[in-house]
Amino acid sequence: MRHFRTLLAHELRSAALSWNTWAAGGLFLALMGGIHFFALVEGSRAPSDRTPVESTLWFFWLPLLCVLPLLTMRTFAEERRSGTLAALLTTPASATAVVWAKFLSTWIVWVVFWLLFTLFPFLTVQRLGTPGDTRLGDPSILWGGLCFIAISGLLHVAIGILCSCVTRSSALAALLAFISLLAMTAAGGAMESLPIESWEWLGWLREPAAHLRTFGHLQDFAAGILDSRPIILYGTGTLLCLGLAVLSVEGQE
Amino acid sequence: MNEAAPLPEAAVVAEKLTKRYGSLTAVEDLTFSVAPGEIVGFLGPNGAGKSTTMRILSGTMSGTSGRASIWGVSVALDPAGAKRHLAYMPENNPLPEDLRVEEYLTLRARLKDVDPSRVGERVRKVMDDCDLTRRASGRLIGQLSKGFRQRVGIADALLAEPKVVILDEPTIGLDPHQILGIRDLIRSLRGKMAVLISSHILHEVEQVCDKVVIINRGRLVAQGRTEDLRRELLPEVSFTIVTRADEGTLLAACRTIEAAATVAALPSADGWNSFRISLPTGSPARETLAGALIAAGISLREIAEDRFGLEDIFLAATRRTPGEARRP
Repeated sequence: MRHFRTLLAHELRSAALSWNTWAAGGLFLALMGGIHFFALVEGSRAPSDRTPVESTLWFFWLPLLCVLPLLTMRTFAEERRSGTLAALLTTPASATAVVWAKFLSTWIVWVVFWLLFTLFPFLTVQRLGTPGDTRLGDPSILWGGLCFIAISGLLHVAIGILCSCVTRSSALAALLAFISLLAMTAAGGAMESLPIESWEWLGWLREPAAHLRTFGHLQDFAAGILDSRPIILYGTGTLLCLGLAVLSVEGQE
Repeated sequence: MNEAAPLPEAAVVAEKLTKRYGSLTAVEDLTFSVAPGEIVGFLGPNGAGKSTTMRILSGTMSGTSGRASIWGVSVALDPAGAKRHLAYMPENNPLPEDLRVEEYLTLRARLKDVDPSRVGERVRKVMDDCDLTRRASGRLIGQLSKGFRQRVGIADALLAEPKVVILDEPTIGLDPHQILGIRDLIRSLRGKMAVLISSHILHEVEQVCDKVVIINRGRLVAQGRTEDLRRELLPEVSFTIVTRADEGTLLAACRTIEAAATVAALPSADGWNSFRISLPTGSPARETLAGALIAAGISLREIAEDRFGLEDIFLAATRRTPGEARRP
């Protein structure tokens, strides 16, 4: 546990000083700022069922696919390439402590990015809104959506970490993470759009498909519906990915 | 009462160590040991399996079969326990480029379970010992020269005062002054910690090490003290002489005191002839050769016994069949 704390502090410090984090942060804020701006413009043109904050959160997949792989790609791939991971493993620190420290520090950075995003709706309400008016952004929707992003982010970051563990190339790790996250995000939506009900031989897919609907989870969280099933899904998925990552680090020769 | 743990018989034990990559055998049936406080040179040609063996001993790679232990702790069964007694500096000494030397050593000290109250003191001590304090402590590792990076690696190895230090090519890329400094540093560890050191600079190993282990194609070909290996692997002593006499006269004179003596001509100049006279190692003629030649009427301008160094031992050992090596 002592090694974990030492490693976590080191990883957080490295992340704060890394140009990679700042570049990813800049890209994230530019993307989300742009999306929020267009959501505001769109909302001002015509009445909509969704508030600008809801519409912006609906695009969470964009930074997930474009920014998160940038954060996770170097965690292990770069250290494996340079050999510093092997040097780290000559100390009494375990592979589990190393993996969890890198995972948690990346997740913290990811959550901090999203917390910085809240400045956009906050400033919008400050400048343009009136007290009690929730048309520009309902705080409960915002915080519910952010809870979803934090919880699902555990699995998303773990997938990125696992992808970084299996290669020495940061670019390849980013590409693997992009494809995995795209598949995961799109799988639920794709299954929802398929007429599974009408295909009898695909009937067994109905139940698992219902659990994989990522956008449905966002909708539930934003509406304040706390369902334990997605939490268990993201939790167990995270543990599985991190377990595989530990095995991959231990097995590197 | 806090009693001191008993000293193990061997600080490092490799017993029938084998590592295979598919059909390729990198290390085979390798057995050797390093006593506490002893400095041992680990030699072999490129691709002999030195780095693989060191990586297995350090716990960063698992062996296919055999046993490796550090300070009595099995590397396979209790890797964390073994690592507490061990410091390992890999061949290319990978270091994070974006940390300052002092920050890096502080992090490593914490990971190596150095008492938190002693971390600062230990970091300063190893930086002083490795001559890093004045010129490198505040610099980014990525900006350091190869020599200073090697020093950072060695400082890291000494941080937690381990019982065993494994150094893979510690002086590679260093200038002669730096090599002397590192050599003195390693010499100062004698009696304090067991050191297993691989190097291609045989002169350096000869100067520093109590014992050498020589491997070839993954198998042990020789091990022991340099003097013992010289006797075992080089069964002859030889003398270079410069004289006016011809080969036949010289050979006849030599044969009067040692029947097994041989004479070989060397390139000559200025009307003088040069020869190499070889005698069996234990021959009493070694002591009386010069007198015997003069007594036979041979005028000598020069006579000198050839000194066989570790280089000759290494070449002789790596030419022999692995199975010929003595077991410890």
